[in-house]
Amino acid sequence: MAYSGVLPSARSRAMVSESRHLLMTVAPGAVWIFIFLVLPSFYLMSVAFMTNGTYGLPEMPLSLESFKRLAGFGFLGWSAGNLFTLLRSLWQTVVSTGLVIIIAYPIAYYITTCREKWRPIMLLLVVVPSWTNQVIRTFGWMNLLAPGTPLAEFAQMLGLVPANMGLYPSNFAVTLGLVYNFLPFMVLPLYAAFEKLDHAQVQAAQDLYASPVRAFWHAVFPQTLPGLLAGIVLVAIPAFGMYVIPELLGGGKGMMLGNLVANQFSGGSNWPLGAAGAILMLIATFIGLYAMRRIGKRLGGGEEVVI
Amino acid sequence: MKKQTLQRSLTGFWWLTLFFLYVPLLVVVLFSFNAANSAANFTGFSLRWYQQLLGNEEILSAFANSMVLAIASSAVALTLGCLIGYGMYRHRHRKLGWLIILIYLPIVLPDIVFGISEMAFFVQINRLTGLLGPGLLTMIISHVTFQIPFVALIVYSRFVGLDPTLFEAAKDLYATPWQRARFFMLPTIKPALISAFFLSFTLSIDDFVISFFTAGPESATLPIYIWGAIKKGVSPEINAMATVMIGAVAVAAVLSLMFNRQGRQQ
Repeated sequence: MAYSGVLPSARSRAMVSESRHLLMTVAPGAVWIFIFLVLPSFYLMSVAFMTNGTYGLPEMPLSLESFKRLAGFGFLGWSAGNLFTLLRSLWQTVVSTGLVIIIAYPIAYYITTCREKWRPIMLLLVVVPSWTNQVIRTFGWMNLLAPGTPLAEFAQMLGLVPANMGLYPSNFAVTLGLVYNFLPFMVLPLYAAFEKLDHAQVQAAQDLYASPVRAFWHAVFPQTLPGLLAGIVLVAIPAFGMYVIPELLGGGKGMMLGNLVANQFSGGSNWPLGAAGAILMLIATFIGLYAMRRIGKRLGGGEEVVI
Repeated sequence: MKKQTLQRSLTGFWWLTLFFLYVPLLVVVLFSFNAANSAANFTGFSLRWYQQLLGNEEILSAFANSMVLAIASSAVALTLGCLIGYGMYRHRHRKLGWLIILIYLPIVLPDIVFGISEMAFFVQINRLTGLLGPGLLTMIISHVTFQIPFVALIVYSRFVGLDPTLFEAAKDLYATPWQRARFFMLPTIKPALISAFFLSFTLSIDDFVISFFTAGPESATLPIYIWGAIKKGVSPEINAMATVMIGAVAVAAVLSLMFNRQGRQQ
């Protein structure tokens, strides 16, 4: 529109210079991401369809061997190990995301009820632990759950763990670690949603004698849904591919997909199998993102989820 | 009356959650001062683990690696990301869907997939050309890749928050593109640049998985060293090292709070 009065040639020259400007500013970073992330990802995906060579490196005849291995078909016939790992990843993701939601809702709400002056400090208090390194945070839980600590002794008293044992390695410890790790990622978007809450709707529900539960469900919940969905994306996707926490707190029986994949690239040395697992993770990631966008668009009253 | 009980139980829940969030860190800090080599019994106050820390060559070199990695990658990412952020703003009326996807890719990709993609890619490049052997350089490249989007988004949102007529004003005053960049744009986005640099720095220090898969034998960072030490068997030395890192985060938190205050007062 701005060029409507200008001669066509001058206009196209301006367009060319604009395009050159776009290229000059955006290209260096875009090319960087393309070379160092898009190409490697495509290479990884292609590896999944290759055969496992002698040193664990991929070799040429294309095959679906690694996907069969992932589904449990090995040299010794079918075994359920890999499938269990997959199911465990899903289960851990669902449980920990659910727990995170249950904890984050009251916390996010509570922060909005406090004086405005305190809110940034309260949010900071929630976020600061996640600034420390993930390995250190998980190590903290190892310290807490080790044999002989008050928590472990308490669990022994209740008969939950055998004598002289710690609370890790176990699936419980992994869930705990996941909840701990991802809580801030749910509190922040939920807080943003609560802060924008239209209190008139809640008031209207109360005026119509809605019970607190119904008032929450019909007046509050739909308004916080975009924040909740953003939180689920931020929690569930990284939880599904988590590596550090199950590796340190889970042991062999708490292994998740991330460990299965990583092991093929470090100790186990079967790149195609690891790459097949990575493809599975990618599919889960994109399905998750897509589903959240769809649901968000439908339920969020046209408001797009922040992702 | 009922509302009051709700508020009171919420307050209780808040403090409980805070306790949950901080207790693992506090335990690490507490046991770093433990005289005995035990994760269960605190026998007395001692600084011996900190002394061991200072005498350990490996730890000092891991610290140096972490710093070089964080500063170098943040500097490169700041340059590239800042350019993207400006380009995205300037051409925001065009269809830039491909760019948005490219920028969100490093953010949404699970870090384990990110890490092994880079590793597999670098290994093959190294086999074919002899370049890019695993080490600090491959780590810096990977870190820049995941830092660029954050810098770009921060810079972009700063530009969006500006009054568009400012750009017109700069043009009307016959400022050359260079002068516009030097005297108008850089000063106005300076806060965004500072926070983008700090975020990149934090992301780099905080990263373990991607570093782990792209590191070489000589380029272990602090988290990688800690990881190795944990795998070998828990030693209180790790507590001391972790405490130093937790302390750095605490300082960063206080600084960010002060910056925030200042920003709002102005």
